[in-house]
Amino acid sequence: MTDLAAAGRSYRALAFLNYLFLLLAMVVIAGILTTAMTLQYAWGELPCPLCLLERLALFGICFGLMQSFRSGFSYQNTGISLLFAILLLVISVRQTLLDIYPRPGHEYIGSAVLGLHMPVWSIIIAVAVLTAYALKLAVLGADRDLEEVQASAFPALSKPAGIVSLYVMALCLINVVSVILQCGLSECHTFGYRLLG
Amino acid sequence: MMVPVFVTMLLGLGLGWFVRRWLGLAFVALSFVLALGQFLFEVYSPEHGFSMPWIQTQVESATAPMGG
Repeated sequence: MTDLAAAGRSYRALAFLNYLFLLLAMVVIAGILTTAMTLQYAWGELPCPLCLLERLALFGICFGLMQSFRSGFSYQNTGISLLFAILLLVISVRQTLLDIYPRPGHEYIGSAVLGLHMPVWSIIIAVAVLTAYALKLAVLGADRDLEEVQASAFPALSKPAGIVSLYVMALCLINVVSVILQCGLSECHTFGYRLLG
Repeated sequence: MMVPVFVTMLLGLGLGWFVRRWLGLAFVALSFVLALGQFLFEVYSPEHGFSMPWIQTQVESATAPMGG
């Protein structure tokens, strides 16, 4: 009986760590998206088409994270997040290679943060997400029972996760409006908001 | 066209959270495919295709001493 109780505590601790990882990942990504949108609206730095696709990939990663809190942790949700992390990596590497040799019409746009521009940061973010997932799977991946513990078993994590999820959806809604204004139903440019003249 | 890519993602996030997971997943998968198509459209050049001729590379001479 004591062994069973100890196993139960260890099992709950692993599930707690798992959901804590997912919540922290979602908070970090929401922070990155907020920073990008602050640069856009406060400093007038309009995102290029590939920058917009990088944001979309971040929203896709969030979908997998959000669903783990909404419908329970599953490795399918992990797979969805990893797919979007790979998409983010592919887009950002290609964009970095596009702008790595400055020439007319092609150079890094926007402000550099700590000396690095957005596409280079996107590579770092994508690699960080992939590395974090790899580490999590290496540490917790052997536990096949993680899927049986719902996030609602940890209100201290599930409630903030609900708030962050709604915040991410709000960010996505703002992005949709912004993309409509910037691109209309045509190609996107960084000269200005197409529908605002 | 970027708008459908973001609209399908918003629908995916919203429907997945408020309605049904599979419905959200369907829209997110659609958004992924649209984003992939948009990415290929953005990087394709009628002159160079998908190549990157501005990145100059050349084969080193076989007789050149190797570093390390």
